[in-house]
Amino acid sequence: MIECRDLRKLYQMGNVGVRALDGIDLTIGKGEFVGIMGPSGSGKSTLLHMLGLLDIPTSGEITLDGIDVNTLNDYQKTMFRLYKLGYVFQDYALVPELTVAENVSLPAMLRSDRTEEEFQAATEDILQRVGLSDRRDHLQKELSGGEQQRVAIARAIVNRPDILFADEPCANLDTENSTMVLDLFDEINHDMHQTIVMVSHEDWHKKYFHRIIRLRDGKIVEDNHALS
Amino acid sequence: MGKKELKVAFFLAWRSLRRGSRSSAILTILIVGMCFTNMIFLPSLFAGIGQTIKTQIVDYEVGNVLVSPQAGEQYITDLDATLDLINSMPGVERATPHYAKGATLKYRQRILGSSIRAIRPTDEKSVSPIYEKMIAGSYLGEGDTGEIIIGKIIAGDPTIPAEEEFYSSLGGVRVGDSITVEFGNGYTKDYRVKGIFSTGWTSSDNSALITWSDMELVEGGSLDKAEYITLKTKPGYSEKFVKDELVSYGVSSQVHTTDDLLSKAIGSVLQSFDIINMVSLIVSIIITTVVLFIVITIKTINSRKQIGILRAIGVDKEVIMHNYGFQVIILATFGIMLGVTLAVLLALYLSYHPIVTPEWSAYMYLTPMDLVSNSLILFAAAIVAGYVPAYQVSREEIQSSMRA
Ligand SMILES: Nc1ncnc2c1ncn2[C@@H]1O[C@H](COP(=O)(O)OP(=O)(O)OP(=O)(O)O)[C@@H](O)[C@H]1O
Ligand SMILES: [Mg+2]
Repeated sequence: MIECRDLRKLYQMGNVGVRALDGIDLTIGKGEFVGIMGPSGSGKSTLLHMLGLLDIPTSGEITLDGIDVNTLNDYQKTMFRLYKLGYVFQDYALVPELTVAENVSLPAMLRSDRTEEEFQAATEDILQRVGLSDRRDHLQKELSGGEQQRVAIARAIVNRPDILFADEPCANLDTENSTMVLDLFDEINHDMHQTIVMVSHEDWHKKYFHRIIRLRDGKIVEDNHALS
Repeated sequence: MGKKELKVAFFLAWRSLRRGSRSSAILTILIVGMCFTNMIFLPSLFAGIGQTIKTQIVDYEVGNVLVSPQAGEQYITDLDATLDLINSMPGVERATPHYAKGATLKYRQRILGSSIRAIRPTDEKSVSPIYEKMIAGSYLGEGDTGEIIIGKIIAGDPTIPAEEEFYSSLGGVRVGDSITVEFGNGYTKDYRVKGIFSTGWTSSDNSALITWSDMELVEGGSLDKAEYITLKTKPGYSEKFVKDELVSYGVSSQVHTTDDLLSKAIGSVLQSFDIINMVSLIVSIIITTVVLFIVITIKTINSRKQIGILRAIGVDKEVIMHNYGFQVIILATFGIMLGVTLAVLLALYLSYHPIVTPEWSAYMYLTPMDLVSNSLILFAAAIVAGYVPAYQVSREEIQSSMRA
């Protein structure tokens, strides 16, 4: 599903170069729930952004679903993200003027292979799953942080992506809401066989991951499947 | 960029305006509406002033076409034959001759220099509407002798002392009073004031009229000449057509249409109007552009992170750009609609309550073409103002907008 070879990202800050990623080799299979952990500044977000086609590596190869993403142009990458990838960020970034249901529908609306009835049905289905059916017509400002993040998750999976990327989705949430989000991930990983790559630095999240990749200074220092 | 993307962009734009800050949207619409009104108000007011001046010049000075004596001559001679010829031409409603003579008017203690104009009442009526402007007494009849009608300014106001008058007058003449007129050739006679008229056109209100036959008495013989002839064209005939006709029939080589005369007389005034119009147009466009640019820039800056994330989840940058573009289009459309409404209301108001000065009265001369062309200009400015920041924000790297 995800393969990368000798992935490097160098940030040039004046005279000083920062090796945010320093030769990452990685293979992630379908249906895996992978946790990326490590200290702050170790390159977790950078790695996720490279894998999620949000940024371009300095060197190295990334293959997603058998496609060498270096060959894609900007528009093709956008379409690849729309059709095959889903994202949840620390920031929920819902569109404040859209209702819960409209926010969730948004990525589905843009797909040319979805009719209005299809994406309406998919939206209802996903809202049911994240437990927000009764909030479908509410606006962002009327929701709690945890609810907003569940809307963001619903938006990320409404298109049934091949891979779901999550960058510290629980960073702004309390333990109770974090648990709810992680349970939700666990559920969709289990029920829908959803591949999930999630960044976290909370130790107690470990128990949810099938596999933990630990980074330090842009290098993989640990990769175990122990907890699966 | 497919239909689906445009639909989503419009959906986002509409929702953003409907559910976003109501006051900011209303304020923006108001400003665009005001700018539109500002753009249209002065130019159409000036056009209105131009129109009233033109109407008055046609009505009280030169008619639709002015026939002057042949070059080098002082009078049009053989007047009756000439008038018959002119009146027989297609497109001519009626022609009327003008002949004036300097005179001194005396009434009680007042003495006033003026020129007395001779008219042929029936012909004059079909060219100049003074007969509709009588504020006291009545118009001259065809065979009247010893009677005079005078303009309101000459008649004067008895409550205003002579030294405070702007234009000298006879200090309050009323219908039935008698005025002594001493003509330049020494002929002196008392005339009974038959009527007083007020046209609002200064030089007309400063004139005194007697019949052609009275003037023949003054001149001591039949008066078969005129200083010039003015004429009214029939509806459907252009002034230019009638002018060319008169020239080709050899009536006179000195024939001018109102437009010929106006472009000479008030051409420079119209030019300064044009400058003022241009300034108000440019100011309106600049304000609209700047306001819409700022509104959209603030919107995009406040939403940078959201834009980054939307792009991350697969919303194409074109959708983002058109989202803001459509917002500007919608705001501008409503603003222009408001502006058109305001302008039309103002025009209606001014048509009932024109701005009146001694020289002219002004209403707004507003054609649908003016509304359309100004709308298009403002709309184009709005699109530029909105799409520039929309384009910029949509091209930003996903990474940097997400970090915002
Ligand atoms: N745009 C950038 N320009 C320069 N340096 C950057 C940029 N983005 C990241 N870095 C640097 O790259 C390194 C890795 O950053 P990254 O954001 O991937 O860390 P992280 O593991 O996600 O940390 P955190 O847990 O704090 O989120 C850091 O040293 C960071 O300062
Ligand atoms: Mg990070």
